[in-house]
Amino acid sequence: MVDVIKNTQMHCTYGCKTSKAVQPNVAGKLISKAKRPLFVVGSQILKDEELLKRAIEIAKKADIPVAATGHSMKGFVDADVDAKYINIHALATYLCDPNWTGLDGKGQYDTIITLGHYKYYINQVYSGLKNFSNLKTISIDRQYLQNATMSFGNITPEVLLEALDELIENL
Amino acid sequence: MSELTTGSFSIGDLENVQITINNIVGAIDKQMEKSDEEMGPTPKPGVSSLRDWDHTIFERYNPIYTPMCDQCCYCTFGPCDLSGNKEGACGINLEAHNAREFMLRVMTGAAAHSGHGRHLLHHMIDLYGKDYPLDVGPTNIIAPNVQAVTGIKPETLGDLDIVLNYVEEQLTQLLAAVHAGQEGAAIDFESKAMHGGMIDHVGMEVSDIVQISCLGFPKSDANPPLADIGMGCIDPSKPNLIVIGHNVAAVTDIIDYMEDNDLSDKIELGGLCCTALDMTRYKMDGSAEDQVPKAKIIGSLAKELKMIRSGAPDVIVVDEQCIRADVLPEAQKLMIPVITTNDKVMYGLKDRSNDDVEDILADLTSGKEPGALLLDFEKVGEIAPRLAMMMSEIRKQKGIKALPTEEELKDQVDKCVHCLACEIACPDNLPISEAMKLAKEGDFTKFEWIHDKCIGCGRCEFACPKDIDIVNVIEKSSQKLIRNEIGKVRAGRGPISDPEIREEGVNLVLGTTPGIVAMVGCSNYPDGTKDLFDIAKEMLQRNYIVVVSGCSAMDLGMYKDEDGLTLYEKYPAKFKSGGLINVGSCVSNAHITAAVIKVAAIFAQKQVSGNYEELADYSLNRVGAVGVAWGAYSQKAASIGTGCSRLGIPVILGPHGSKYRRALIAKPYEDQKWNVYDARDGSEMKIPAAPEFLLTTCETIEEMMPMLAKSCIRPSDNNMGRMIKLTHYIELSQKYLGVMPDDWQNYVRMETDLPLAKRQELLKILEEEHGWEIDWKRKKILSGPVMKSDVSAQPTNLKRLCKEA
Repeated sequence: MVDVIKNTQMHCTYGCKTSKAVQPNVAGKLISKAKRPLFVVGSQILKDEELLKRAIEIAKKADIPVAATGHSMKGFVDADVDAKYINIHALATYLCDPNWTGLDGKGQYDTIITLGHYKYYINQVYSGLKNFSNLKTISIDRQYLQNATMSFGNITPEVLLEALDELIENL
Repeated sequence: MSELTTGSFSIGDLENVQITINNIVGAIDKQMEKSDEEMGPTPKPGVSSLRDWDHTIFERYNPIYTPMCDQCCYCTFGPCDLSGNKEGACGINLEAHNAREFMLRVMTGAAAHSGHGRHLLHHMIDLYGKDYPLDVGPTNIIAPNVQAVTGIKPETLGDLDIVLNYVEEQLTQLLAAVHAGQEGAAIDFESKAMHGGMIDHVGMEVSDIVQISCLGFPKSDANPPLADIGMGCIDPSKPNLIVIGHNVAAVTDIIDYMEDNDLSDKIELGGLCCTALDMTRYKMDGSAEDQVPKAKIIGSLAKELKMIRSGAPDVIVVDEQCIRADVLPEAQKLMIPVITTNDKVMYGLKDRSNDDVEDILADLTSGKEPGALLLDFEKVGEIAPRLAMMMSEIRKQKGIKALPTEEELKDQVDKCVHCLACEIACPDNLPISEAMKLAKEGDFTKFEWIHDKCIGCGRCEFACPKDIDIVNVIEKSSQKLIRNEIGKVRAGRGPISDPEIREEGVNLVLGTTPGIVAMVGCSNYPDGTKDLFDIAKEMLQRNYIVVVSGCSAMDLGMYKDEDGLTLYEKYPAKFKSGGLINVGSCVSNAHITAAVIKVAAIFAQKQVSGNYEELADYSLNRVGAVGVAWGAYSQKAASIGTGCSRLGIPVILGPHGSKYRRALIAKPYEDQKWNVYDARDGSEMKIPAAPEFLLTTCETIEEMMPMLAKSCIRPSDNNMGRMIKLTHYIELSQKYLGVMPDDWQNYVRMETDLPLAKRQELLKILEEEHGWEIDWKRKKILSGPVMKSDVSAQPTNLKRLCKEA
């Protein structure tokens, strides 16, 4: 088992409520259990082919739609997954609106999983969701994100790949 | 009896008696009454005067909060946990508290600019008197922001004094609202933030008009000279005098002293941040394009620590705003004396303003004092260059060494234990550990790669448990790169002239010039400086007008295209389709909003004085302009952006902009929000969902390219304009995201809106995927579009501007 929660050091405090550290097998099971999950993948994913491969695998195996933020859409064009481009700040806005019907018109989401973003940027997105929505949010990236509901710790790129493999096994 | 005017008078036969009349009570109001200029409904608006307009904006553009901290620690009731939008002890909730914080951020920025303006104005009135005329080039509207907001048409320095009085009163009233236990509605803190943003553009305009008029800056010059930029353009063999900040007042005395004493060729005068830009504008009015500005630009805030650590400066002079707070201790380590010249930055140094020049020089050269506070600019003018000459010798003799030797570099690198603390501390999480690993094997290329992405903040060094001087390691590893960092920047030209607006206005309002992209703001980029060059190049090739200012204007000049030219050398500095304009420094940003006001005034004959709301409404519905603050970091950038929001100009920030904690984002799926009135008869008309935001962020420049094109779409575009804008939107989306945008059809009203080369293909998509009816024989759309095509419609959000049906 890959241990990804040992290093959850914070470099500043974000307030009273900070995310729970989560192991990959648990994250995988939570994703599988979600009723209306959305996999939000950022453009940093394009910097690492191995990471992109795993993102596609997660979307396929868990059969979840992908919100391709930034220009990550380039990585999903021929990937045979249900991916759509959306700006992440706009997405964060709509996710706080109970009247939004989602990228597919079928209704609001209940669980957000993120991978491939700048740490400081996605943490701000999470801050909005934490305070102004009831969504469950899970970060499966290589940095501990205080504002998510659950997050991996600070890990190396190599450990992240291992962790994602374990997560995929548990989907 | 004749009326008294301001100015100086000598009285008859009385020798040595002169009366100076500075201000006559009510004179400017009287003058305003006398002039033919009609006055709009809101001259000198108070905090609540434009509230209705703000609420109209917020009805569509939702304030979106992404708090940095879930608590409020303002008063002694606290800290209060506001997470989940709870209320604190005073009753404020997280939304309202964040709105209040955003407003404070905006006001801080506005105060920085108008404080700068006030300082410059005092100084120039001291030198030239209140009657000194304002001159910014060929225009009938000298100060569009000032006039639109206050109703005042300033003609002299003295008139600006009255304008700043108004600005200062507004800032005081706004600041009062921050006090605990008052406002509870986020939306009204938001309206106050908008007020602060608008006021900021007035303060900036005053600042730049003062310096353009008094310091011989280019005046709407469509061909200003080119200045050198880059850490590599400074000659290390000469004495180096380095200036950091934003307020050029003291520096002009340095330049004059150097010229008068034949030192200009002997000393290397370089600047960091906006002071540098303004140094290159000094006495450049009407100069030939090949004339060389009187100073060199080293770069933005991101280069400050690196420049000091290089050890090249022999003296550092600072003035105000974006200056690192640790300049003095950093300089002290390398025996570089620091002169502070402004009461905003004094670094705890002794005030030597009234001391003898020789005494001050003796104390600084001997190292008895690490620096001096000098509020007397004439003394700064003399001391700084003389000190640079002396210190250059002294520092050489003492063998001051800054960066590590090759051997020391190796020792430093070997100390790394790869704990990742530096990477967690780094604002951009740069891969320092990996670079250390490679460096241990003798490969420093990763550090070279990091050099351009690094914003030189030094947080990594404080995090390092092994005390490695990481910034020095990066800089030492990148010496070859740094030596070649040489580029060109066009000196800031000031406002856009009336004739230019007259020629270009029609293209902008009809959409045949696809838009204005204003690249402004600071150097906190997510992925290095080259992004700016890439954005500008793409948009210039597509005939957008690209306007730049401040740090963005600098970094843009650091790169050359395939022909070996910077974009400044390649594209004309004219306000026309495909032109690249550097308006100037941070305070010159007011000329960008001014250009939008001028389009409404000159092209559409809109009244300017005290008519802010109507001008903003015009801009939101008809002028395809978008701001980009890709590396925005400062409070000033927040206030500049918020001034744009109130004027209806959308702004996109880089990912770090999310840390401003507030955006203005609309929901395109809320159909009822995308209606305006047709001013001809007051009927409601549907408009496309663009711009979709007034302030937002995005991840990468690739994502931003199609966003830029879409943000320039306006309800007033004619079908030629729609076709041009749609072409760019679709092409940029395909190029950078690899897909067609999923909402392009929403902007189509008739078949001629479709890009010619793709018309057949797009009509097919409209028929098959969206159920539109097409007459294939005539290639005409029969039904489908939700908006009617009517070239003479006059879209407005203001019912009061509509003629009755």
